[in-house]
Amino acid sequence: MTSKLFAVFLSLWMVAAPVPVMAQQPAANANPQQQLQQQEAAATPQAQAAAQLETARKNLERLAEVITKAKDDDNRLAELKVEIDAAAKQIIATSVAIRPRLDEIKARLAELGDPPAEGAPPEADVVAQERKRLLAERGAINALTGTAEDLSVQATKLSNGITATRRVLFSNTLLKHTDINRTMVMDAIAAISLERQTFMRTVGSWLTFAWNFKRLQLLSALFLSLCAALVLLAGTRRLFSPFIHRGVLNEEPGYITRLSVAFWSTMIPTMAAAAFATTSYFFLQVFNVLRPDIAPIVSVTLAVCVAVLFVSTLANAVLAPGQSAWRLVRVSDRGARLLAWSIFAMTVVNGLDYLASTISEVMGSPIVLTVVKSLIASIIIGLILMAMSLIKPLVAAGQTLDSQGKPWPRPVWLLFVLTGAALIMAALSGYVGLARFVATQIVMTGAILVTMYLGILTGKAVAKQNALADTVVGRYLERRFGMEQIGLDQAGLVAGLGIYALVVLLFIPLILLQWGFQIADIQAWAYRLFTEIRIGSITISITGILAGILLFAAGFVVTRWFQRWLDSNVMARSRIDPGVRNSVKTGVGYLGLALAGLIGISAAGLDLSNLALVAGALSLGVGFGLQNIVSNFVSGLILLVERPFKVGDWVVTGTTEGFVRRISVRATEIETFQRQTIMVPNSLFINASVGNWTHRNKLGRSDIPVTVGYDAAPRQVMDTLLQIANAHPLVLKNPEPQAVFSAFGEATMTFELRIYLADIVNGNGVRNDLRLAIYERFREEGLGAPFPKETLEPEVSLPQPEPEIVAARKTPDEAVEQPVVDEPVRRSGTQRRPRRVSVEAVGDKD
Amino acid sequence: MKAFVSAFVLTVIAAFPAWSATVTNKDGEPAVLVVVEGESRMEVAISAGSTESICPSGCFITTPSGDRLGLQGDETIEIVNGSAVVK
Repeated sequence: MTSKLFAVFLSLWMVAAPVPVMAQQPAANANPQQQLQQQEAAATPQAQAAAQLETARKNLERLAEVITKAKDDDNRLAELKVEIDAAAKQIIATSVAIRPRLDEIKARLAELGDPPAEGAPPEADVVAQERKRLLAERGAINALTGTAEDLSVQATKLSNGITATRRVLFSNTLLKHTDINRTMVMDAIAAISLERQTFMRTVGSWLTFAWNFKRLQLLSALFLSLCAALVLLAGTRRLFSPFIHRGVLNEEPGYITRLSVAFWSTMIPTMAAAAFATTSYFFLQVFNVLRPDIAPIVSVTLAVCVAVLFVSTLANAVLAPGQSAWRLVRVSDRGARLLAWSIFAMTVVNGLDYLASTISEVMGSPIVLTVVKSLIASIIIGLILMAMSLIKPLVAAGQTLDSQGKPWPRPVWLLFVLTGAALIMAALSGYVGLARFVATQIVMTGAILVTMYLGILTGKAVAKQNALADTVVGRYLERRFGMEQIGLDQAGLVAGLGIYALVVLLFIPLILLQWGFQIADIQAWAYRLFTEIRIGSITISITGILAGILLFAAGFVVTRWFQRWLDSNVMARSRIDPGVRNSVKTGVGYLGLALAGLIGISAAGLDLSNLALVAGALSLGVGFGLQNIVSNFVSGLILLVERPFKVGDWVVTGTTEGFVRRISVRATEIETFQRQTIMVPNSLFINASVGNWTHRNKLGRSDIPVTVGYDAAPRQVMDTLLQIANAHPLVLKNPEPQAVFSAFGEATMTFELRIYLADIVNGNGVRNDLRLAIYERFREEGLGAPFPKETLEPEVSLPQPEPEIVAARKTPDEAVEQPVVDEPVRRSGTQRRPRRVSVEAVGDKD
Repeated sequence: MKAFVSAFVLTVIAAFPAWSATVTNKDGEPAVLVVVEGESRMEVAISAGSTESICPSGCFITTPSGDRLGLQGDETIEIVNGSAVVK
């Protein structure tokens, strides 16, 4: 507690302390120092800007050179473009930084005024000199900005040049035409043996080198990457084992199970393999095991292995050639086997094509060799596609999966044949790059799309209501963490959304990479997506908005914490009135919320000055639609300040009566005696009269009317009533109870017993006790009976809402018994017929 | 509560500032600015009293008074006596 108080004082002091210090500083620095500083500052920004621009110029020159060198390297060009765009931004920022100085000079020049016209008396020498100096400086700044302008144009030109180069590069790789003829093939065949020799020699020498000098590094790199892959594989397998494992089930697995098994059994081994490939390449690189001539070959080999694994596991997962129960598509056993094999073969051929072309590139083989290799690969893939059209995988509706299948429907068959033929034609006519690109798209993009589709279906299945609870994971969560049905359902929803996010974030970049975009492009897009989305002239920054929301949430949490701390630690101990406490707490809450909102809005980059416009629009809205809400809101604030009632008070307004449970900013929550909660708009409390039984204190008067026939002695009745009232422990002695003869009726006299209670909330119970006592005493003393003589039936009391506290805690015994014991039993023998005495329930309302 | 939320959303939408630089000509005669944006160098004429939006992503302008300014793209500029005043 002390430490907290201390912290508060400290923070208050810290807030308060800088104010006088800041106030003093300008005064102290006012004259000579300030001028000196200004002069220094004046010299620096221009010099700084000049230096920065010089750096930028050199940077641009360097980049231009690099671009000329890297004009064939698409990846490098993409990175360079990002760099140049950043440089262009920097140039503009530099020139923006010298703008204030220009403004200063302009202001000073305006102060000095125009030079005197001809014939006018000459001005002071100092003024003329200063004008001259300022004009020179202005000129220098303009020259500097001019340089920046030129550099900026140059940077933009470079950037656009890169875009053009990359476009040409892309179309070149795709549409480059090579004449396929006999000489070319002959050349290629001649080159093959040469390349083989070079390759063997290179790899052999590298292996010897690695084994002799880098043995430890090689082995440890492999070991570490294997470890990483194993950890990943084991961990995910453990976590997702029900999703991956294809058990031999008695009944056929459900569609959702098959789907998720297919998705995860593709994803997890692929991810593990990718992790292995990446880490092993990384470690080999870090330990300097790779040589520049070997590194590309190793990386492409690893990538091809991962790709082949991915496509083949996917084909296996979807087609499940061995286990027809797990098959996702309805094809025959034989068809599934053949299809899986052809897809695998296509992938392998495509992968080998890439590997071979990398080897040729690294070994410096003639370009014809690469072309011929790709040509062969494309033709093979085309042939496989055409062969696939001959497979008869479809199963007629009534038949089992192991039966002889039907051929493809005509359009599918045609698609296979035409694609295959087009590939072969393109390759043979010299467009090898195009053929290769299309083949890769068919294999890889197709596989990625299929996986995406599976992933989205899985996410949908997992997110379905109660889907997770029925799975093994759900049962495990239930057992291990004792999660409830609702918790599991929500977890399922989160998992489903997570799978969607995974699918989108993982596969869309993969597809883009497939299409020839570079990682730098994707990064730049992602960066732009999060920092500035431009719609017309409006820019929206997602990060800004997220930061605003985060700040708002943080402010909200801090406010709640502060509120609770203030309430329970400070105000509770300083014995402040609960009403004030509640008001302060609520007020602090709204204040904090408003502050957090303002901070959030400004962090999100919203201009608060634009709010003036909004306020204008809103005031119109307030005039019409929001009038009620605003009036209630303001009333709520008034209630908080004025405090006509506090939480727990017993209030009456209009037809509503009950205990105040909560005062919030729009409405006040009132709980009636029947436990019905009523939201009363705050404006009602301000505009109408409000009765409060417990405003300053809880003292209150409660009346009990008693009607007695005319043959009773009024004084005796009144005495008895007072005796009964005085005997009750909860009835106050001061102000003392009163018995009043209040009215003459047609056949009855009406008395009223008025009692004061320290806590009016107990009224119902006390009245109940007193009525019992009155009845019993009157009976004993023969004063009358509290029911009409004619019917001899107790009067049914009106349904009266009763506070339950009262009903619960009353034990009337003591109060009632005492007078009975005190009174001698002498009158008990006198039998008098009951007179017309009735106790009315009217006016019992309190 | 719904009303508050919708009011808040409305406020936020309306408070989104226009981010491109706006130039207002406060002079009595049209002002001609030379705007260098990206690779292009163009002249933008702003008639007296009117406002134009230029260069959302940063540019350089040359004002009628001959001064050159670099703009980030989110400024509000007034042309007073042929010279630019950045707000």
